[in-house]
Amino acid sequence: MVEFKDVSVTYSSGVDALNKINLKINDGDFAFVVGPSGAGKSTLIKLVLKEIDATSGEVIVNGFNLRKLRRRKVPALRRTIGVVFQDFRLIPTMTVYENVAFVLRVIDAPAKYIRSRVPYVINLVGLSSKAKSYPTELSGGEQQRVALARALVNDPQLIIADEPTGNIDPALSYEIVGLLKGINECGTTILMVTHEHDLVRYFGGRIININSGSIAFDEVIGGTNENQ
Amino acid sequence: MKISSIRYLVHQGFKGIWKNRMMSFASFCIMLVSLLMVGISLLLALNINRIIGGIEDKSEVVVQIKDGCTEEQIDELKNKIGALPNVSTIEFYSKEKAWESMVKDMSDEEKELFHYADDNFLPDTFRLTVHDIKQMTQTTTQIDTIDNVESTRSPTELTDVLISIRRVLGIISGAIVVALIIVCLIIISNTTRASVFARRKEINIMKYVGAKNSFIRIPFFIEGMVVGLLAAAGALGLTMFAYDGVYSIFNDDFKLWSVLGVNNLYSFDDLFMPVTIAYAVAGALIGAVGTSFSTGKHLKV
Repeated sequence: MVEFKDVSVTYSSGVDALNKINLKINDGDFAFVVGPSGAGKSTLIKLVLKEIDATSGEVIVNGFNLRKLRRRKVPALRRTIGVVFQDFRLIPTMTVYENVAFVLRVIDAPAKYIRSRVPYVINLVGLSSKAKSYPTELSGGEQQRVALARALVNDPQLIIADEPTGNIDPALSYEIVGLLKGINECGTTILMVTHEHDLVRYFGGRIININSGSIAFDEVIGGTNENQ
Repeated sequence: MKISSIRYLVHQGFKGIWKNRMMSFASFCIMLVSLLMVGISLLLALNINRIIGGIEDKSEVVVQIKDGCTEEQIDELKNKIGALPNVSTIEFYSKEKAWESMVKDMSDEEKELFHYADDNFLPDTFRLTVHDIKQMTQTTTQIDTIDNVESTRSPTELTDVLISIRRVLGIISGAIVVALIIVCLIIISNTTRASVFARRKEINIMKYVGAKNSFIRIPFFIEGMVVGLLAAAGALGLTMFAYDGVYSIFNDDFKLWSVLGVNNLYSFDDLFMPVTIAYAVAGALIGAVGTSFSTGKHLKV
């Protein structure tokens, strides 16, 4: 669950990035966050990951009150969140398997669990045959699927996808969002930031439109795919 | 932390050395030279200290007793001087003994000349050593005030010089050690910075998936420590080789040095353990601490 209560963020440069935002994303929700560049979408994500702190107001993520959360407890928060980036951020010197297993190693998971969980998740995103490949040997869509497997492997309560389709072909974009939808159906909360209105219209669901640091629109719409 | 994680982190540390082998080699060389210089200056200081100590131990105060003192008066004087806190040993040297000794060292012509001397003109003396050479002047002043003391002689100028040499030597070797340690830390920190920069993406991802700072730091820590220990081993080998060479020159080849007390050097066997421990601790610490300076910046995500 993600909750924003009267949250404002003013950067040291004096720019007001968010202005008294109130927002609640319940467990199991799928929400698209849309809006023009500079509207405050990235600031919203940074707040959820506690990369930055709110100037005022309260942010609660998966039961953690981020205003009260100490720096050394931030890893515990982040272990409940999976992140997918626009630029994939895979480690080029590691294979697909190693990129995914790396997350579990970081959180000190038992070796036996790593050996069973990683192939399962790689299979879930349809990349079993590419487990030993390096990121540079994969297409953009495949790289993003590896990133998705990496976000998923820790079984997080929340997945944040920051423009996950920004660097891949439009046709593959539908595939990636389809995968995210599938994950959401299994109970994981998904918060996806995107610029692609066609995708949003196609899949439908909860749309949060941010403009000039405020929520301009927060409603559930039906997707065009449901009419087909 | 689980054993598998520790194994993983250690493996990552060693992998890091190989991945950044050129930078690791540069760190190794610089640390080797720095440790070597620190080691040599410390060994030099240690030995000079020992030589000076040897010379100091041989420094005696000679107390001349007034002529015509009875045995009781001499005994009383001996007790009074011996009771002074800085006096370590005191030995009576009779005028007869002094005469014998003087005649023994004379040439035949000199002996002939002194044969006509009708009386032993040499005085009875005490020869004493002190605990603290720095207080030698103070002690001789105290002795001068005691009854039946004619005069005192002590090598105060020499001791003042020796004390100054020790002090200057201590300051110089201390400054060299501190300067070289700082140089090492800066260089190791820069090398790690390059290695951390190359892996900033990896570190960034680690932070996003909830890695603790310690988990990120440990491989760099191990990397620095291993390079430091390798440099320490190299420095130890070179020091041993060089020291043995110098030791044999002063101790075996030139007996002449013994006149100056320079044969009083430590052998490397005496120093092996402390030198090994000092190199290993310094190498590992400098390597490990140097890395922690540069990883901090990239951990703030």
